[in-house]
Amino acid sequence: MTAHFSGLDYSLLVGYLLATVVLGLFIGRRVSSGKDYFLAGRSLPWWAIGMSLVASDIGGTDIIGVGGAAYSYGLAVGNFEWIGCVPAMIVAAFVFIPFFWRAEIYTIPEFMERRYNAAVRSALAICWLVFMACNLGIMLFASSRMMSELFGWGAIPCILATAALVGLYTVAGGLAAVVYTDMIQCVVMIVGCLAVLVIGLIDVGGIGKLKAELRKIEQRQSAHSAVAQRAGDPSPPLDRDMGLRDADNLNAELEVSQAGRSPAESPTAAQQYPTRSRQTSLQDDAKIQHIQLILPVDTRTPFPWTGILFGLALILSPAYWMGNQAIVQRSLGARSEFEAMASYVWGAILKSLIPFLIAVPGLIALVKFPNLEQGDHAFPKLVATLLPTGLRGIFLAAFLAALMSSIDSYLNAASAIVTYDLYKRFLRPNSSERLDMWVGRASTLILLAWAIEFAFFLMETGEGIYAIFQTMMSFFQGPALAILLAGVFWKRATGIAAFAGFVGGVLFSVILFSLSQESVLTALELQPLFQVEEPFLYFTVWAFLVAMVIVIAVSLISPPEPPEKLRYVIGNERGMKA
Amino acid sequence: MTPLHYIGEFVRSSMQAIPLSAVRMIFLAVPILLLIWVLRLPNSKTTRPDGTGSWTQNLKFAASIALLIQILIYSLL
Repeated sequence: MTAHFSGLDYSLLVGYLLATVVLGLFIGRRVSSGKDYFLAGRSLPWWAIGMSLVASDIGGTDIIGVGGAAYSYGLAVGNFEWIGCVPAMIVAAFVFIPFFWRAEIYTIPEFMERRYNAAVRSALAICWLVFMACNLGIMLFASSRMMSELFGWGAIPCILATAALVGLYTVAGGLAAVVYTDMIQCVVMIVGCLAVLVIGLIDVGGIGKLKAELRKIEQRQSAHSAVAQRAGDPSPPLDRDMGLRDADNLNAELEVSQAGRSPAESPTAAQQYPTRSRQTSLQDDAKIQHIQLILPVDTRTPFPWTGILFGLALILSPAYWMGNQAIVQRSLGARSEFEAMASYVWGAILKSLIPFLIAVPGLIALVKFPNLEQGDHAFPKLVATLLPTGLRGIFLAAFLAALMSSIDSYLNAASAIVTYDLYKRFLRPNSSERLDMWVGRASTLILLAWAIEFAFFLMETGEGIYAIFQTMMSFFQGPALAILLAGVFWKRATGIAAFAGFVGGVLFSVILFSLSQESVLTALELQPLFQVEEPFLYFTVWAFLVAMVIVIAVSLISPPEPPEKLRYVIGNERGMKA
Repeated sequence: MTPLHYIGEFVRSSMQAIPLSAVRMIFLAVPILLLIWVLRLPNSKTTRPDGTGSWTQNLKFAASIALLIQILIYSLL
């Protein structure tokens, strides 16, 4: 399906894009050193950084994808913004961010060398660089595909235009341009999504009516499950799309089969659907499943509570908010330690609002369009149906804002790693600030070219490669967090142990991933290790645990680190600057 | 089945035995414990170094808002 936009919509979009690029170029006039380019000269205010954190975190595909996931699975996807962000941001604000800011680092791998050694820095830098470089291509590819499918634009022009626009202001202005344009993008994103939410809620009759309609949809689903169970289907499809398309026929069948039976004799969904565990929530008729955040271990959705709590809230989220260069770097550019902390707290407050803006529209779409073939069509369908001319243009700008704010962050961060962790560390340790800036600009351009090329490669190779890349990129984040936590909190953690733990954790992720592949399972005649659809959250948990065990074990048998390394342990940080 | 399968099955069964009402308490415990921790932080760690600014500029206030929103969300949904 494609949404249609008028001349006014496109005018608003072009106006927004021009304003963004002009602002970025204007800021770029003042950039004259590596510190300006990568840390905005340590001049950024907390409110700009906080908004930039939120904008960077939400990509264009996230707006569509989260709405789609809410359509298909319910509000549980909101966990990724709530417990999957806020706790980690608060801990980061008061523990890690002030610590990193005081150390006056440019990159997280740089901090790792100060605490451990060059091997750990290099391993982490290479992993982050590969991750970010591939992610740039994936973001361009995924967004262009989405824009092509939903808005009818050509995929290749989308890739090239997005890359050109983002590249212009990022190359020119560095982190300052990234943060201030992200700030505008955050506002546009919120306004655009808020328009969809408010108009959508009014259209369905308010929150109460929305809940009532969701309950009706779920009752029809239960009826479908009951009929399928009676027909001997051992695993009735919980696929909501199939259930709803066939619901009318199946309900008719249920009515016929129950004709002549008293209510006491008629099987209910609860009686028909087998109990799998004490946690099976389908039997809880009082609650609307689509607004449940906590789903059972055996849920068919990708959001079991164990994955959300252990994989997301305790591992992936801290790894992201405390250890992801693209995120942490903006707080390193704060004008004071207090403002660096405040930026994260402000970002946490903003994050609390995001699921209402992007997930609830998915529920509204479910009520209005229960028979969509793909959940990803939910948001665009709402936009096409509900928003008047003008507001559609604002939503379009919101979508592109989300996309651009993520790409510019990863571009600048990847360039920082190239410049400081590779070029300056190994080739020209005494390079001037001005040279660092030019190396940064050049590496930004090269990364952009790579991202375009990689996006084209993904276009040709298709879905499989794209999905594999996305999963593989989460392999190292658990181990990275393990060595960061060990280094920052435990004096006894050694560099050798950190390197071994990191490598061991990543390898374990690869093993788990391999043992989840159909071809491997068939060849080895094994059952799947995990029973959820997408077990990447579990890969992260186990990789973290394995890495931590290795770090602890090897640390205890290796010589302790010298005092200059232990300055980078929290509580011991006197004289921490390089 | 490999040893990993046995470990996985054991962990899965153990987690499945926990009722969802108890799981909700665990989810709520995260922001509640964090809120207690934030409120107990010394003011020197949550205010501007020069001591300027009103009480609303103490980061404890803003952090508490963020965590209270989470407590409300996980209590109601």
